[in-house]
Amino acid sequence: MRRLHLIAGLLLVTVIGGAVLMSYLWLPFAPDDTSGGRLTPPGGDHWLGTDKLGRDLFSQLLVGGRIALGTALGAVTVGGLLGVLFGLLAGFASRWLDDAVAVALDILIAFPTLLLAMLIVAGFGASLGAAVLAIGLAMAAIVARLTRILVKQVLSKDFVTAARISGISWPRIVLTHVLPNIWPVVLVNLALQAGLAVLAEASLSYLGLGTPPPNASWGRMLFEAQATVLTAPVAAIAPGVALVALVIGINLTADGLRDLADPTRRRSR
Amino acid sequence: MVRYLIRRTALLLASLALAGVALFVLLRLLPGDPVNALLSVGATDAQIAAARRELGTDAPLATQFLAWLGDVATFDLGSSLISRLPVGPEIAARLPVTVPLTLAGFVLAVLIAVPVGFLAAYRADRWDGPLLNGVAQLGLAVPAFWVGLLLVSVFALNLRVLPAGGFPPAGWSDPAASVEALTLPVITIALVMSASLIRYVRAATLDVLGSDFLRTARALGSSLPAAMWRHGLRNAAAPVIAVLAIELATTFLGAVVIESVFALPGLGSMLIRAISQRDYPVIQGVMLVSTFAVLAVGFLGDLAQRVADPRLLRGHR
Amino acid sequence: MKRAWIAVAAASALLLTACGDGGESTPTDGASAIINVGSVYEPQNLDNTAGGGQGVTEALNGNVYEGLFRLTDAGTVEPLLATAHTVSEDGLTYTFTLAQGVTFHSGKALTSADVKASIERVTAETSKSARRSNLSVISAIATPDDRTVTVTLSKPSISFVYHLSYVWIVNTAAGDLSTTADGTGPYKLGEWKRGATLSLTRNDAYWGASKAKNAGAVYHYYTDATALNNALLTNAIDVVTSEQSPDALAQFESNPLYTINEGTSTTKLLLAFNDRVAPFDKPQVRKAVSAAIDNAKLLTSIWGEYGTLIGSMVPPGDPWYEDLTSVNAYDVEAAKKLLAEGGVGGGFTFTLDTPNYDPHPTAATFIKSELAKIGVTVEINTITSDEWYTKVYQQRDFQATMQEHVNDRDVVWYGNPDFYWGYSNATVTDLVAQAEAAKTEADQAALLKQANKIIAEEAASDWLYLYPQIVVASSSLSGYPLNGRNSQFFVYDIVKS
Repeated sequence: MRRLHLIAGLLLVTVIGGAVLMSYLWLPFAPDDTSGGRLTPPGGDHWLGTDKLGRDLFSQLLVGGRIALGTALGAVTVGGLLGVLFGLLAGFASRWLDDAVAVALDILIAFPTLLLAMLIVAGFGASLGAAVLAIGLAMAAIVARLTRILVKQVLSKDFVTAARISGISWPRIVLTHVLPNIWPVVLVNLALQAGLAVLAEASLSYLGLGTPPPNASWGRMLFEAQATVLTAPVAAIAPGVALVALVIGINLTADGLRDLADPTRRRSR
Repeated sequence: MVRYLIRRTALLLASLALAGVALFVLLRLLPGDPVNALLSVGATDAQIAAARRELGTDAPLATQFLAWLGDVATFDLGSSLISRLPVGPEIAARLPVTVPLTLAGFVLAVLIAVPVGFLAAYRADRWDGPLLNGVAQLGLAVPAFWVGLLLVSVFALNLRVLPAGGFPPAGWSDPAASVEALTLPVITIALVMSASLIRYVRAATLDVLGSDFLRTARALGSSLPAAMWRHGLRNAAAPVIAVLAIELATTFLGAVVIESVFALPGLGSMLIRAISQRDYPVIQGVMLVSTFAVLAVGFLGDLAQRVADPRLLRGHR
Repeated sequence: MKRAWIAVAAASALLLTACGDGGESTPTDGASAIINVGSVYEPQNLDNTAGGGQGVTEALNGNVYEGLFRLTDAGTVEPLLATAHTVSEDGLTYTFTLAQGVTFHSGKALTSADVKASIERVTAETSKSARRSNLSVISAIATPDDRTVTVTLSKPSISFVYHLSYVWIVNTAAGDLSTTADGTGPYKLGEWKRGATLSLTRNDAYWGASKAKNAGAVYHYYTDATALNNALLTNAIDVVTSEQSPDALAQFESNPLYTINEGTSTTKLLLAFNDRVAPFDKPQVRKAVSAAIDNAKLLTSIWGEYGTLIGSMVPPGDPWYEDLTSVNAYDVEAAKKLLAEGGVGGGFTFTLDTPNYDPHPTAATFIKSELAKIGVTVEINTITSDEWYTKVYQQRDFQATMQEHVNDRDVVWYGNPDFYWGYSNATVTDLVAQAEAAKTEADQAALLKQANKIIAEEAASDWLYLYPQIVVASSSLSGYPLNGRNSQFFVYDIVKS
C-alpha cells in the first residue's frame, strides 16, 4: 500500500519530467510559431488546439512544464541550502543568537510567500528567477525552523557529547553526526515543499507576478484561458490537469520517501 | 508560565519592530516612485519634480524614516500618497472583509478536516479511509484560484444562488448580502485549507491509535470511542494545534488570491494595489498589521498547545 | 462523512440564499432606479489635478463636476457652465459668460472667482494634470464681475475651448478635493468605498434644465475582467463601461438580455520606437519594422472581429483623420529591402520594454515572431507600469516600447521633440504649432492632416491598432454613452426600464 504511493508518485513525476525533457529535443510546433489560427479547437495537427495567437497549446504545455519543474528544483535548492544553513547555525548557536534567528525566521514566515514575491518582483521585475527566489526564501524559513529543531535533538544525544569530549571539531561533528541524522527528514520535507512551490508559482503567475510571457507557465495559461473558457474549454483544462498531476506526483513521492526514511511510521494497528 | 509569557511577548514585540524597520529599508531600496502612479503621459519634468517635493519622497531617507518612526510611535500609520486618505482607518475599513473571510474559512476547514482526517485514519484498513485520503491528496494539488473559479461557475453563473463576487456597498449593515458575498470565498478557502489539515489530523490520529496508552486503556476495558475521547484527543490535539496556527497565518496568502478571484475589497487587494503604486505608507501599514496578526496567531497557537498538553509547559527550557 | 459535509455546505448555502432574497429593496426602474456601473478603472483619489487617474474622469466628469464646456459623447464641444463666449479679433482674449443660478452641491453659488481658481488649479506648479501644458498659453485671468471671466492668452490657441472641457469648475472653498467633492453636476458624491464601489446620488437642486433621469449610480470596481463579466452575467451590475477582451463577449452575444455596443475609441496601441537611438533613428528601419508586422492578424488575435486598423496616431473620429493604413502596409519583402536600405540588412537585436498587463505581453509575443521573419530579434523585457514611467517616460532609456495611448487629439505629441519617443522633425513641429494658431477649424484640420501624413510616412511609431470601445449593457438600459471619449462616462441620461 505504502510502496504504492512511492511508485505512483515516481511514475507521475517521471512521465511529466520525461515529457518536459523531450520538449528540449522535439516539440510538435515551435513555442512562438503563430501559424495555427486563433483558438483552433483540438484535433488534427494541434492535439490540444491553439491559443489566441495561434500557438500550439500542447507545445505550450510542454514548455510550461519546464517552468513548473524548474520552479520546483530551483526553489528546493534555494530553500534547502539556505534553510539547512540557517537551521544549523541556529541549532549550534548560543541561546542569544538562537533567539535572534528564531525571531528572524518568525518574521520571514509571517511574510507570506506572495508578499515576498510581490516585493521581489517589484524590485527585479517579473521573472522566473524572482518567483523562484521568493518561493525559495519562504521555503528556507520553514526548512530552517525544522532543521533547528532536528539539530537540537541530535545535539542532545550522548554520542555527540562523547564526540565533543574526545575533541572532534565542530565541522566534523556536523558532517559525521548531525547531517546523517537529519537529512532523511529534511529531504522528505523538501519534497513536500516542492509540490507547494509548483502551486505557489501557478498562483503568482495567475496574479501576474510569475514568469513573464512569451514563456507561458501553467498558471499563466490558466489565467489566460479563463477568459476563453466557454469558447475553448480545453485550454483551461489541460494546464490544470498537468499542474494537479505534477503536484500529486511530487506529494505521493514525498509520502513514500517519508515511509522509507522513517520506518516507525509504517506501524500497523 | 508567567516568565514564558513575558519572554514570548518581548520576542513578539522585538519581531514586530524588526519587521517594521526591515520593511522600511527594503521598500526604499526597491526601484520605483509613487509619483509615477499619480502622473500620466503628458506630464512634464517640472511637474514630476514638483510632485516629488509635494509627497516628500525627495527628502533624505533618514528624515523619512524618523518621521515614520515618530508616527508609528503614536499609532499613526500616516496617509496614503495616492488617495491622501489616512492608512489606519483604511485598514480598519478592509478588516470587516478579510477577518471574517479568513476566520470563517479557517473554522470551516477545521470542521471539515477533523472528522474527515480522523475517519481516514480510523478506517485506514477499509476502502473509505484511503478514499478520503485520496480526496485530500487531490485537494492538496489543486490551486486555490481554480477551486474559486469552479465554484463561481457552478453556484453563481449556472445555479445563480450566490453572487459571483464583490461585497455589498452597505457592508455589514446589510448582513444577509455580506454573508452571501463571503459564502463562496469562505468555502474555497476552507476546501483548500482542509486538504492539508486532513493529512495532519490523519497522521496525528494514526500515531495515537498506535500508541501504548490507548492499547492499555482498551485492555483495561474502555471502549475505543471512550478511550479516544479520554486519552487520544488530548494527545492528538497538541501537534494539530501547532500546525493550525501556521496554517491560519498562511491563509493570508490564500486570501489575497481569493480576494482577487472574488473581487473582494480586503487587505490583500489593498496591498497588491499599494505595491504596484509604491504607496509606501499603505504597504507599511498593511504589512505591519498582517505581520502582527501572524505573529500573534503563532503566539496564541503556542499558548493553546501548552494548555492542551501541560507536559510541554513543564518541559520548557 | 464526506457526503455529510457536502450536505452541510449545501444546506448552509441554501439557507444563506433564502436569507438573501428578502434583502432586495432597491427600486428597480425609471427615475427611482440606481444604475450599477462596472469598471476596471477605480479612481486613485477624487481630484483630477492630483493624479486621480482615468477612473476619476469616468466617474465624476460631467456627473459630479462640470466644465465651462462639455465634450459630448459624439465628440463635439458644447457650452455648459459658460452659456456664451466671445473671442477677440487677434484670438488672444476670451470672454466667458457664466450660466445663471448655478449652485454647488454645498449650496454655494457659482461665481467667476470659482472659475478663475479652478483653471489655476490645473495650471498650478503642483498640478498633476497631464493636460497642464496645454493650458500654459494662459497669461492672465480676470473676473470683471460675478458672471464674467476673461482669459488672456500669450498666443492664439484654437483648441483652447476644447481644453476647457476637462477643467472642472470646483468650489475651491471646499478644501482638499482628493477625498471629497463639491461640483455643480447632476449628481452629488455619495460614498467611496475604496477597492469596491463609488456611489453618486441625484442632485435634486441641479441648476440645468434636465435633472438626472435616474436616482443615482454606483460604480463597482473590479481588478479582473472575468470578475467584471461575471458581475454583469449575475445582474450585479447593469453596464460595463469598456470591455477588455472579446472572448468574454461570446456569452453576451447570443443572449437577448444583453446589448453589445461598439463605439468610437481613442485608445491606440503603439509600438513606440526611441527615434533618437540607432537603429531606430533611421526612418527606413522604423518603416521596415512597421511593414513586417501584420497588424490585421494581431488585431484579430487579440480582439477577434472588433477594433480598427489605423495607419497613424489619428483615429477615424477626428476631423483631421485620413486613412493611412496603406502607408507601410504589411509586406515582408518590402520590409527586408527597407532594412537593407537602413544599413541593417543582416538584421539586428533590440529590447522591447513591454508593460506587464494585457494586451502588451501578448502583442509583444506576436511582434517577436513576426520580426523573426526579417531577421530582427526581439528581446521582450516585461516591466511594470511604474518602471515604464521611470525608465521609458522619464529617463528615455529604451530602444522600443509598447504603450496604449488613451487620449483624444494626442497626435500633437509628435510636434514635441522632447517627448519620450524623441521624434524630431522641424516640419512636423512647425505644422503642429501652426495648427494650434490657426484661425479656423478647417485650417487646423488641414495642417494637422499634413503633419499626420508625414509621421505616418516616416513611421515615427508603429500604430498597431485602435482598441474597440465596447459597452455591454443589460438590454433594459438605454441612454448610456457609447464612445468613452477621454474616458468619460456620463450616467445622467441612463434609464432602466
